[in-house]
Amino acid sequence: MTAAFIQVDDVHKSFDGRPVLNGMSFTVEEGAIVGLLGPNGCGKTTMIRLLNGVIEQNSGSMSVAGMNPLADGDDIRRISGIVTEGAGLYHDMSAVDNLKFFSKLYQVKDKSRVRELLELFDLTEHANKPAGTFSTGMKKRLALAKALLHKPKLLFLDEPTNGLDPEGIRLVMKSLLELNERDGTTIFLCSHVLHQIETVCSTYIFMDKGRTIVTGTRSMIENRYMKSVELVVETGMLPAGDRYAGYPVRKEGLNRLRFSLPGKDAIPALLRQILADNWVHSAEIVNRDLESLYFEVRKEHA
Amino acid sequence: MNWQVIQAIAIKDIRQITSNMQVWLAMVIIPIVFCIVLPLAIILASKYGGMNGSTEDMIRKLIEKLPAGSMNLSAQTDVNAQIIYFAINYMLLPLFLMLPIITSSVISANSFVGEKERRTLESLLLAPIRIKDLFLGKILASFIPSYTVTLGGFILLGIVVDTMTYTMFEGLLFPSMNWIIAIVWLVPAFTLVSILLNAIISARVKTFQAAQQMSGLIVLPVIMLVISQMTGLMLISPLILVGIGGVLILLCFALLPQIARMNSRSLLFEKQIH
Repeated sequence: MTAAFIQVDDVHKSFDGRPVLNGMSFTVEEGAIVGLLGPNGCGKTTMIRLLNGVIEQNSGSMSVAGMNPLADGDDIRRISGIVTEGAGLYHDMSAVDNLKFFSKLYQVKDKSRVRELLELFDLTEHANKPAGTFSTGMKKRLALAKALLHKPKLLFLDEPTNGLDPEGIRLVMKSLLELNERDGTTIFLCSHVLHQIETVCSTYIFMDKGRTIVTGTRSMIENRYMKSVELVVETGMLPAGDRYAGYPVRKEGLNRLRFSLPGKDAIPALLRQILADNWVHSAEIVNRDLESLYFEVRKEHA
Repeated sequence: MNWQVIQAIAIKDIRQITSNMQVWLAMVIIPIVFCIVLPLAIILASKYGGMNGSTEDMIRKLIEKLPAGSMNLSAQTDVNAQIIYFAINYMLLPLFLMLPIITSSVISANSFVGEKERRTLESLLLAPIRIKDLFLGKILASFIPSYTVTLGGFILLGIVVDTMTYTMFEGLLFPSMNWIIAIVWLVPAFTLVSILLNAIISARVKTFQAAQQMSGLIVLPVIMLVISQMTGLMLISPLILVGIGGVLILLCFALLPQIARMNSRSLLFEKQIH
């Protein structure tokens, strides 16, 4: 078995005696897109800062690409890029000057890299405008370009979609997926807006009150925490009462029925029975979105 | 030490400094006051009898205290020339030292606390750069413009003084040995102490204004020097100036351990970024 790209074991961190992390443990495989999810103030940003070696944990151990963030912080930061919530740009400097400045800090030798990234994030025509005049979406895109200057193996994103419009969110998410597929970049993103990141993450770390409550792929979490299945079926069938085939059912609208099933295994038999009675155009599990799963997980760990 | 990083930070900072109105004002108004208005006022007042009897008496008494080596001064028979000579070479010099102190305080407070206020310090600390390089870059970015402004002021002062007094002294009054020692030894030392103190203060305070208020304390030794000239307590001489510069350089070394303590990235991050 190969060692995990990121390994966090029982990490505790407090600020002025106020505990923020109370035993975070998780692993991240190389090339994964991981979502660190949790409510505001649960310690997501602190976790990212610890992994970058800019603050020190009180106890526990961490490794990033086989390196210790405390001892090898600069080496970790050399292979990782980060987009912080505040973007961290110089507002009085133009987009191109911001990127040129950070290129020097990250020792980027390739002179064409700045132009390439401005083009990639649709900022070429705004290259010479001060970053302070940019919209939130443009600032986020510029911050992402800044984080990718040195072609990092690992990318940290703290609330990458905050303040973005739907088009901006789609552009950022598309870029992340392409980056991951093309370069195999490991992406570690944290957010509290769950539906925006569910299309990109391959694995999740759910955290609450400074500790990990569950980690795994979507299907692993689904199998463990989805206690019932809510299935909406588009059909011409009209049930006689509030139960059908032994399962509770209610009308959701014209030709739409909502079934409460004990698990996914019950779906084929139910659909076969409905098809025997009438037509079926579609069937969809409606309680498997990330947000529903998140609340199920938190309910169980409350 | 990574020279490319130090240079990048210094150049970025100098560009930002030169585009900041508040800093520009300090860099333009202060040299005008200390290097044009003040010497002009002194020379014109002495030349055209603007000084009253008691001031003249006070200055004459001070002149009597000067060491025997001040041949230039005793060679002047004209009392007005004596007063101008004394004012330019003894009284104006400590006041001129305010120029590097004020400019370096304004620039360094802006440079260090400015990153916090702009919320860009986080980006710098998250970059693969040594804190030592970050500090060196910032010290350089404060030193170069401060010293340039002071040097510019020095030249301006020379032009004003020598133009106004050439016929009176039949030669160049400025720069005397005191002034030469001041510009090559004392000014760099004062500038460096002022920057280092500002770096320490900036790491403790949250805003640019607070940093500037705290750094106001740095002018105290200069005020003492001005008072000592006016009362004749310790009239400056090349030896005294070299000595003061030496003490300041020693002070810089004494401040270094404090700066080194601030070199902890995690401490800087936890104290400054929320």
